[in-house]
Amino acid sequence: MRRRNFLQYLAPLGAGLLGGQDLLAGTDPAMKLGLNPPYLKPGDMLGITCPAGSIEPKDARYTEVMLAKWGFKSRVGSTVGKHWQRFAGTDLERAADFQRMIDDPMIKAIIFGRGGYGVIRMMDLINWDYFKKHPKWLVGYSDITALHCHINRNFSIPTIHARMAGGFNAVEDESEISLRNALMGKQVDYRWKAHPLNREGKATGMLVGGNLSMIYAMQASPSELDTTNKILFIEDVSEYKYTVDRMLMNLKRSDKFNNLAGLIIGGFTGTKTEGDGYFTMSMEEIILEKVKDCGFPVSFGFPGGHQSPNLAIKLGMHYTLFAGSGESNLTEITDPHPAIPLQPYLDSIPPPPADSIIQIP
Amino acid sequence: MSIIVPPYLRQGDTVGLICPAGYMSADRTHTCISVLESWGYKVKVGKTVGHQFHYFSGTDAERLADLHDMLNDSDVHAILCARGGYGTSRIIDNINWKKFKQQPKWIIGYSDVTVLHCHLFQRLKTASLHAPMAGAFADAGGEDNFTLSLKSALSGEALKYEAPFHSFNKTGKATGPLLGGNLSLMAHLTGTISMPDTKGAILFLEDIGEYLYNIDRMLLQLDRAEKLHQLSGLILGGFTDTKDTSIPIGQNIYEIIHNRISKYDFPVAFDFPVSHTHENVALRVGMQHTLQVKNNGTTLISKP
Repeated sequence: MRRRNFLQYLAPLGAGLLGGQDLLAGTDPAMKLGLNPPYLKPGDMLGITCPAGSIEPKDARYTEVMLAKWGFKSRVGSTVGKHWQRFAGTDLERAADFQRMIDDPMIKAIIFGRGGYGVIRMMDLINWDYFKKHPKWLVGYSDITALHCHINRNFSIPTIHARMAGGFNAVEDESEISLRNALMGKQVDYRWKAHPLNREGKATGMLVGGNLSMIYAMQASPSELDTTNKILFIEDVSEYKYTVDRMLMNLKRSDKFNNLAGLIIGGFTGTKTEGDGYFTMSMEEIILEKVKDCGFPVSFGFPGGHQSPNLAIKLGMHYTLFAGSGESNLTEITDPHPAIPLQPYLDSIPPPPADSIIQIP
Repeated sequence: MSIIVPPYLRQGDTVGLICPAGYMSADRTHTCISVLESWGYKVKVGKTVGHQFHYFSGTDAERLADLHDMLNDSDVHAILCARGGYGTSRIIDNINWKKFKQQPKWIIGYSDVTVLHCHLFQRLKTASLHAPMAGAFADAGGEDNFTLSLKSALSGEALKYEAPFHSFNKTGKATGPLLGGNLSLMAHLTGTISMPDTKGAILFLEDIGEYLYNIDRMLLQLDRAEKLHQLSGLILGGFTDTKDTSIPIGQNIYEIIHNRISKYDFPVAFDFPVSHTHENVALRVGMQHTLQVKNNGTTLISKP
């Protein structure tokens, strides 16, 4: 009995000393982490592929030039410039191009060409075996949220929500600089102006999310987001307010808000109004109404989504969100186990009772 | 699974009229009321009919109270939703079904009312009626076969509906509970406690005003949520006023649906008269149906 007590006593200590991620992960499922993709170094190669809508080779040129300027090589996949109906090739062609890139050890990260629609049509054709063992950064947003959700839910591997190849400019701007910083491992520390309707507070947790319509389309599927103890980021474009209300009702009714740690709202741009004139609630009111029974902080106006700037965020990693009255702040926690800082933890441990030691044979 | 079938209506019974979602002017319900009366029913008009709170026919609390008033009034024998729109799911989790369980009654409507059909089947094991609403009465005068099918369904007649053959149909015979309604609302219920278990069911789907890519995505959503793989049959109604994006999806609605379901073996019937147009027959959701898809056409049979 005493011996068991002692072993229990030592377990977290040993884990802390060894940096034993698995042991720690076992104590708190929310902290369970997949492998992190390695950050990029100069000379690394990035792939450009289109799993959904198409871009022309000339649209990829800005990205190639900018990647070269940043010191990277690039390889353009077979789906760039390809067309099949509204997609960049058939479902099989898009899946094959993406599969080649995740399985190619020379390619260290993938920037998608554009979103649109189509990831959900090819995603279930992908074999993730190599990616799970050798993850690489995948960069995109909008329709790409299907991949963000699937990878977070199934492999807990971080991905990057950021501007895509089709949106790169001739001269780098804030969005592209933020992507470069994310790819090279710079700690995220964003500050943005507070919205009057922010619900103030501080939250810590893994950041998940992306495009609301796509998070919604993943519901009850093998790619459904688990939002427990997480910070959820949502954005959307060109939806009716009643559709946004309906999608949020779905998230609410499927308990996605009950155990959320925090909520970050990005751009809700191009909202459609035709025939919707009577839906007079503002987007902020629509959102707040769904989470009014929950206590977590809500921060509006994050500069991300179908807008400029669209700041790069590494989904699947841990952050501290501070929703304030003057500004909001999102800071990446570089130590994935912030709750167990090694030195203070050791210092705080009283010496074990002497008799417990003698019990070990 | 046995389903509770509310009592069919008799002459002199009362139909309660409410708007659980979007706003509808009282004028537009007049034909519906007079036709129901001509069928021998009394009509109790709810407070939400003609009432307006921005987009909705009242606040959530007002719409809920009106529904409760009809559910709890033992002199009301059926509840006809005058209009869909959007808003039923905003009140569904606050409905008190206690009195309804003691005195089940037919709840009638389509489109946004799909939320009630699904919830009634999955949570209360009670049949309901996917059928024309007040707007259809106003547009067609209440004398066409589609609105008249509601009278037949409400009074407990056997129902037999037919549809022409379509080259994408998959022939065969299916028997099972009839489930479904509006595709957008089925997608909307995915992952919630109102989403029906579709195993062994005959599913019917219709929609209006959606982008073709979004129909493709919603069908994939239902498929990836395993709502299609154990169906006994599938009925496709009208997908009207569809929209396309600036880069066309390159398939028509039939091809989109066909591509999503061609891997399955169950019988499939396209062009069934359930839709947002006047071609919208009354369907007793939750009850056993027999679907026969043949080379010379489709039949769907419901016995009372």
